Order: sequence, then structure tokens, then C-alpha cells
Amino acid sequence: MNEPLDLQQVRREIEAEVRARRATGEYPPGFERELDALFARFAPPEVSEDFDAALERAEETVALDPVIPTASNSPIFGIVKRVVAKLVGWYHAWLAQELTAFGAVLTNALRLLGKRVSHLEHVTADTARARTTAMLVPATRDDAAWSNLVVERLRACDARVAVVECGEGVLVQSLLDAGVDAYGVEPRAETADAALERGIEVRIDDGAGHLRRVAPASLGAVVLRGVVERAPVGELLQLVDAAAAALRPNGVMLVCSLRDSGWRTGPTVVEADLALGHPLHPDTWCAVLPEQGFVDVSATAAGANAYVVTGTRAAGS
Amino acid sequence: VTAIHQFVPTLAPRDAVGTHYLAVQSTLRDAGYRSDIYAYEAKDEFKRLAEPFQSFSGGRPGEDTWLLYHSSVGSPVADFVSSRPEPVMVDYHNITPASFFLRWEPVVAGALSLGRRQLARLAGRARLGLADSAFNASELAEIGYTSTAVVPILLDIDAVDSTAPDAALLARLDAAKARGGADWLFVGRLAPNKAQHDVVKAFAAYRELFDADARLHLVGGSSSHSYLGALTDFVAALGLADAIDITGAVSDGALAGYYASADVFVVCSEHEGFCVPLLEAMHRRVPIVAYAAAAVPETVGEGAILLDGKRPLTVATAVDRVLHDDALRDGLVAAGTKRLSDFAIEASRRKLLDAVATVAGAP
Repeated sequence: MNEPLDLQQVRREIEAEVRARRATGEYPPGFERELDALFARFAPPEVSEDFDAALERAEETVALDPVIPTASNSPIFGIVKRVVAKLVGWYHAWLAQELTAFGAVLTNALRLLGKRVSHLEHVTADTARARTTAMLVPATRDDAAWSNLVVERLRACDARVAVVECGEGVLVQSLLDAGVDAYGVEPRAETADAALERGIEVRIDDGAGHLRRVAPASLGAVVLRGVVERAPVGELLQLVDAAAAALRPNGVMLVCSLRDSGWRTGPTVVEADLALGHPLHPDTWCAVLPEQGFVDVSATAAGANAYVVTGTRAAGS
Repeated sequence: VTAIHQFVPTLAPRDAVGTHYLAVQSTLRDAGYRSDIYAYEAKDEFKRLAEPFQSFSGGRPGEDTWLLYHSSVGSPVADFVSSRPEPVMVDYHNITPASFFLRWEPVVAGALSLGRRQLARLAGRARLGLADSAFNASELAEIGYTSTAVVPILLDIDAVDSTAPDAALLARLDAAKARGGADWLFVGRLAPNKAQHDVVKAFAAYRELFDADARLHLVGGSSSHSYLGALTDFVAALGLADAIDITGAVSDGALAGYYASADVFVVCSEHEGFCVPLLEAMHRRVPIVAYAAAAVPETVGEGAILLDGKRPLTVATAVDRVLHDDALRDGLVAAGTKRLSDFAIEASRRKLLDAVATVAGAP
């Protein structure tokens, strides 16, 4: 008689083995990304979201074939098809011509629209390029400023804790050391690799995207870090929405941020120059979070240049 | 006498849904209902088993007549059934969301989208929505079906043993196995929602880290030329063309051969409404490692290692664990066999008749 399987335990062991092998360097950093990138090379442009390539593909397929296919396995059907083709050929050719012209007009309009969007992106400071460049800058933060505050606030948390923009994982490690079931989310692959090599569980993803993908009301706490100083206000509101949805009732949100003055000096100065947003004043967070369904919102200074804002997701929200 | 006639898009041999239609017909007839099959097209040796759907002009005088429409793709049959005055039941086998195909195969996406629209239109007419899985039933409920019942696909799983493995193929597979290396298997149409490219990624990681002699067999016809092309080019670029066999559609004997030779069945699908090959793998005692998406967790129960994610290194590590932990492998196979008993055809026939009787009454 076989012992009943504990598949949950097996899954945990598999995850632990993956983390341990990453930590020893046995699983090469970047290997999975290389596989993703290689497959993306062969996917159609619509899948890889390359606008120019997608438009080229549309232009290649826009010309309809005016010739009616008449091949058939059956000689009789072949004759029937040829007769039908002869009878309606003029109409088919006219229809193909009209549709081809319509398709050409449409793709031309799309190309013009694409040019206008490109121009708009340039005159609005080329936000995509600035964002891409900013993403290459290592987001250096000294977690010592807020580490104690965060660990003490979450020490009793008995559900999973997501640290959004975990960097190289120092804060996640502090939480793990305190017995908190924490993991990191980090969009910079190279930075995430450094955290993975510590044996920390890290999802290579942007914060809002990840929080939207986790099961609703499943997390015990969300810690926002890094991105809160850099992202425009609109993106921050989306991030807070996603965090609120991912938190279980009475779950805790912590915003760990530098003050604007501290961010524009020292190791974060390049990031500050390239960023589309800026650190909010703690009072702003205290005004925003209650609007998103958080209660008991308060701000605490974390040294001269940083602060932590905490809030609790209302039980009935 | 009550008649329950089935209306289907396509009736074809070597197709799990096609076999289901015939099993439904025999179940209804055995119970005393009158039941014929009307199809948009019937193929090969099944041609004589169905009438053209346009030829249906109503039931016999005095007979209580119901129409049972099988939904799996967009079809003119759905519009025909919608237009008929007879009461309707729908058996939903799942329609892949068009978003999976939109960027790969726009024409297929259009047909799928049409199928979902037709399914929604039938919600107002259908007195009962049958579904292969609770996952499918929940989709029906979401679009307005007020009465649903889960009736698994009628599949006589023991019947697959009646086909012997293709001897020549099995000899070739055995010869390769004798040279070393594990055999991975996935069975299903090549389609973006089945994400064979993720199976390939996991396999590439497995070859790199655990077993440089391993082989992967991707068995099934293609639903998308562009996806097949991308997958083939991807395999070539990885330098794995000799290790990965993209077989296309195969005979029953060849399929039996692939199952007989497989060491592990790996599923990375994003969307499955039921996934009959999972039952076949459990029946053939092949352990399963699967990404827990859509109806897959419901179909396998405790008979598989279900993963929350499908990053290549995680899937590869799970496969390595299954292949080298005898107790785990035996446990998975035993759990799979137990789960399979929940889909025994006699029990499913009873569920079908009970569900049908709630709306159509006794024959």
C-alpha cells in the first residue's frame, strides 16, 4: 500500500531545490530569459508587439489574389469550379481590387498614425527611451533606513509578503531572517539575478503586473520600494490599486521611500534625473491610501531622508 | 417517445469529441430515447453515421423532440439550432478564447470568436448546459446559462488498449531509449494555448542541466501554421532538432507507441477545457508534470505534480524529481489510476441520463 502523497510538500521541495541551485550558480542566471528571447525571435511581429514589423506584415498581405482557385481532387468538381470561376470571375476580380484598395488605404493611414505617435513620443521627451535608460540604472537604496520599521511591523504576519522592487534582496532577507514568508519582485533582470543568487525567491516582473497576477486577497502584506520614488503619479495609483486587490482583509501596505531632497543627491541622482516621477511627500500618501480603501494610515520618519507609510486594508473593502 | 437529436459541427474518427457524440447516441438509444446525429460535415468512415444538419425538418408527429447542440467552435449548425422551435440543450466542450490565436492565426481566432458568440446566443434558448468539467460549467454560468450539469466526456479509456503500439515505431523508440536518456511526451494539437514552446523551453533546460540524452515527442496535428513554423524554427535554433520530434497527427498505433515509451508527460498549456490526453497518460501509467491552468487541475486531481508557474528551470527540476524519485512516481501513477476511475464511462453515462432526464423527462 502506497503512502498518500503530500503534493504540496513535493512542490515546496521543488521550489526550494530551484532556489538552492540558483544560489550555488548551478542554474545559470539569465538562461531562462535567453530561451524567452530566442522564441520571441520566431514569433510573428503581432506577438512580439513590434509595430513596424506588424505593419509590414499587414502590407504584405493586403493585396488579395484575384484568381479563383479551381483545383480539385475530383475531375467533376474541378470542372464545376472552373465554370463557376468563369461566371463570377469578373465580380471576384472587382471585389479583390476594391478590398485591396481599401486595405492599402487602411495600412497607409496606420503608417501615418504610427509616425504621428513617434513624433508625439519625441516631443514629450521621448518617454519610452527615458524609461528604458532609467531601467538600466541600478536602483541603489540603503534598506538600513527602514529595515527595522518594516521587520517589526510585519514580524507577526502569517501570510505571504511581496516586496515590490526588492533590488538585490537585502530587505527580503531581513524579513526571512525574522521568520516572515517574504519574496521579492524586481523588474531589472540583472539585479534580480543577484537576489536569486542569494537563494531568495524573486519574480522578474514589474510590480503592478505581478500584483495583478497573484490571486486576489491572498497576500498578508505588500512592501513598495524603489518604484515609489521614480514612477509618475498615475502609475503609482495603479500600483496601489493592484496592491489593494492582492491584499487580504487586514493586510498591510508599507511604502518605503526616500524624501525628494535625499533622492536628488547621492547614489540615486542619475535615477532622479531620468525618472518621470518623483518621491511623494508622506502626507500625500496619507491622503491617497484612505481613498483606496486603507485605514490606520500613518507616516513614520526613517532617518533624515526617508520615511515609511503604513496602512491596513479595511476588512470590509 | 422522446427524441434527443444531436447537432454537431464535425463528426470525425480518431477524435475524442467525435467518439463522445457516438457514445452519447448509444447511451440515449439504450435508455429508450430516439437519437440521430446531424452534422455540418462527417468524415471518412463516420460519413454514414450522420445526416446533413439542413435535412432536419422537425420531429415525428406526437414525439417530444429536443435538440442537443455540441459546442466546440463556430459553426453554421449553431445558428440553425438557434432558429429551430424545438427545446435545446447544449453540451459545451470548451472554445479556446480567441485571444490565444488572434496574433498567430487571425482566421482561426475569428472562428473561435464566432463560436463563443453563438454559445452566448444559445444561452437564452438552452434549458440545460452540459459541460465536460466544472471549469467549462463555470464558463457557461458566466454567460447566462441558468441550469448546468457536469458530465465528463464519454470515453471508454480501456478501449485504447485494443490498439497495439505500432511495432516499427516502438522498436525505434526502444532503440533510442537503450542508448540512454528520458523520453518526454506531450499530446495535443500544436496551438498557442497549449504552449508547446514552453514545453520545449523546459526540455532545453532539462537537457542542459540533467540529461543531455533526453528526447521530447510533441504529438498532434497543427491548428496554426505560423505557430508550427515558429516552434520548428525555435527547436532548430536551440540545436535540438535531433532530440525533439514534432510528429504531426499520428495513427492510434503510433500514439500507443509514444505512450508506451514515455517516461513523463509534461503539460504547459495555458488553456484546456478538459484535456483528454491527461486521461490517456494516467491510463498508460505515465507520471504527469503539469502547469496548473484552466481545467488541468480538475482533470488530474491528485494524479500529477501541478506547478503554479512554468518557468523552464522549475518544470525541468520537477521532471527530474519525478524521474528519480521512485516513490513519488509510483504514488503519482497510483493516484492517476484512482482519479481515472472517476471518469469511468458507465458512471458518466449515468450522469448524462440523469441530467437529461431533469429537463426532457424519461424516454
